[in-house]
Amino acid sequence: MLIVGWVWGLLFAPQDAIQGNSYRIIFLHVPAVIYAELIYFFMALCALMHLVWRVKLAAYLIKSAAPIGAMITFVGLFSGSVWGIPTWGTWWQWDARITSTLILFIMYLGILTLHGSFSNLEKSDRLMSILVVIGVVNIPIIKKSVDWWSTLHQPASISVSGGSSIDPSMLYPLLISIIGLGFTLISLGILSSRSYILGREKNKKWVSEYV
Amino acid sequence: MLIMILVLTAFPLSIDISQFDLEKFYFSIIVVSLLMTSFLATEGMFEEDFEDGSLEQEFLVEQDFYKIVLSKIFVYVCFIGVPIALIGAIFSFANGVAIGSFMNVFFILSLSNLLLFNVFAFGNALSINKGAMLGVLTTLPLALPVIILLGTAIRSIQYEDGFLEISSLMIGLGFLISAIMPLIISTALKTHID
Amino acid sequence: MKLISVQNISYKINEKKLFHNLSFEVFSGEGLHIKGSNGSGKSTLLRILLGITSISKGSIEYSNQNLKISFLGHKNAIKNYLTPSQNLQLLFDDATLSDAFEWLKKLGLYQMQDELTANLSFGQQKKLALIRVLAQSPELIVLDEPFVGLDHAASDLLNNFFIQKLSEGTGIILTSHIQPSVECQVIALGERIV
Repeated sequence: MLIVGWVWGLLFAPQDAIQGNSYRIIFLHVPAVIYAELIYFFMALCALMHLVWRVKLAAYLIKSAAPIGAMITFVGLFSGSVWGIPTWGTWWQWDARITSTLILFIMYLGILTLHGSFSNLEKSDRLMSILVVIGVVNIPIIKKSVDWWSTLHQPASISVSGGSSIDPSMLYPLLISIIGLGFTLISLGILSSRSYILGREKNKKWVSEYV
Repeated sequence: MLIMILVLTAFPLSIDISQFDLEKFYFSIIVVSLLMTSFLATEGMFEEDFEDGSLEQEFLVEQDFYKIVLSKIFVYVCFIGVPIALIGAIFSFANGVAIGSFMNVFFILSLSNLLLFNVFAFGNALSINKGAMLGVLTTLPLALPVIILLGTAIRSIQYEDGFLEISSLMIGLGFLISAIMPLIISTALKTHID
Repeated sequence: MKLISVQNISYKINEKKLFHNLSFEVFSGEGLHIKGSNGSGKSTLLRILLGITSISKGSIEYSNQNLKISFLGHKNAIKNYLTPSQNLQLLFDDATLSDAFEWLKKLGLYQMQDELTANLSFGQQKKLALIRVLAQSPELIVLDEPFVGLDHAASDLLNNFFIQKLSEGTGIILTSHIQPSVECQVIALGERIV
C-alpha cells in the first residue's frame, strides 16, 4: 500500500509540471494502452504454462489479470476518446489503433465471460487458456490487417503516434508515469490474485493455517 | 441460407429508396450478411452431438475429434458455405455492381466462408453449453481479420490489382487454418466432455 | 483374463474430493456393481474408467489398447429427429443390423420403428438406446443406471442378458440403485474414504 501511494504521488507530481491542458491525458492514455497489451501477453504466457505443464497457479493468474486488463483497456479507450474531442474534433475514429484496442477489449470480455460460464472451475481454466493462446495469435494479425485496411480506406487518416520527437520535458514524466502505472497494476494484480487464490484453495490446509 | 437471402434483399430495398450509391454499401452488406449467416449456420454444429451424448460415444471409438471436426467443417462449407458464396456473387451482379469477374467474387467469398466457418466452429466448441452469444463474443475478434482480408480482396478485384497475391494468401491461410483449427476444436470438445 | 485394472485413483472436483486411492480389477466374465448415493461420483468413476474424464493421480490399465467397450451413459446418444429404425441403421453396419432389429422386437418397439424418436416415451427411448449395447459383442460393457425407466419385462430381459454375457466371458461394469440379479463384486462410493 505504501508503494502504491508513493507511485501515485510520482504520477501526479509531474503532471503539474507540464503546460497545456488536453495533452495531460497522455500520462494516463499512453501507459494504459501499453499495459493493455502487456497484460494480454502476460496472460498468454500463463495460459501456455497452464496448458503445457498444467500449472494451476498460472490459470489463477490469468483469471485475476483479465479484469485488470479489461479495466486498463477501457481506461485507454475512454481516455483516448476524451482526448480525441478537443484534438481531433471527434471522440471516435475507425482508425487502426483504436479498432485493434477495441478488439482487445472485446477479447478480455470474452475471456471473462467464458470463465464465468462453467461450474467446473478446472474445465473453465483449461478452456480459457485455449482461448487466450489463440487470441495472442490474433493480436499481431489484427494490428497488421487493420493497417492494410486503413491504408485502403482512409489513407490520410490521423496518426495517433504524435510528433516524431517528444520534448524531454514531456518524455520524462511520461516514462515515470508508465513505470508508475506499471507498479500500480502489479500491486493491484498481486492483491487480486492473492484473494482469488485464497478463494479457490480455501479447502486446503495451508490456507486455513495462513488465514 | 434463407437469412442470407433475406438480408441481401432487405439491404438494397432500404437503400434503393434513396437511390444511393450502392457500390459504397456493397461491401458492408456482403460482410454483415456473411457474418450473420456463417454464424447462424455453424451455431448447432456440435451442440446437438454434445447434448445427446454422441460426442462421448465418438470419443470412445476415436479417442479424439480431429476427424469428425474436419469432416463436419468440410460438409458445412460445401453445403452451406459455397451456396452462400454463390448467392453473394449473384447478388453483386444482380445489383449491377461493377467489380470484375463473377468467378473471382464467388471464389473469394467461398474462401472467406471457409475461414469464417472454422473460426465460428471454434467459438461454438468453446461455448457449447452456454449458447451462441458467448460464442460470438469470444470469436468476433478472430473473425475480424478474415473480414479485412475479404475487403482487401474485393478491392483488388475492383481495381484489378494484386488479386493473385491476396487470393493465394487466403488459400494458404485457408489450408493452414483448416488443418490447425480442428485440432484446437478437438481439444476444446475434449475438455467439455471431461 | 484381466480386462481392466485400476490403481490408486483419486479424483476431485473444484477441490472437493470424490474418492481417494481407489483400486480394483475387473476380470472377464465378472460383474462390478458400483453403488452410492446421488452425487457420490458413480458416473464420474465410469467416465474415468472409459478415459473420458482425466485424473490427476493413479493409473488405469486395459488388458489391451483396443479393448472393445460398449457404453451407455445418462445421455442416450440417439437422434430425436430420426425414427428408431433410422437410428439403428446409423449405429450398426449391415452384419449386426438384423441383430439390432431382433432386439427392437424383443423390447416391444417394433411397431414404433417408423415413428419419430422424439415422440417415444422416456422408457422407450431408453430401450432404443440400450440396443447400442445389447446388439454388440464387446469385451467389456459399461452401463450407467441401465434400469432407470425400464418396465419389469425389460429389466428381466436386461438381467438375463447380463447373465448370458457373463457366461460368455464379457466383463460388465454398471452403476445402479437396484441390485442387479447377477453376482457382482460391489464398490460402494460415498463413504468417507479419506
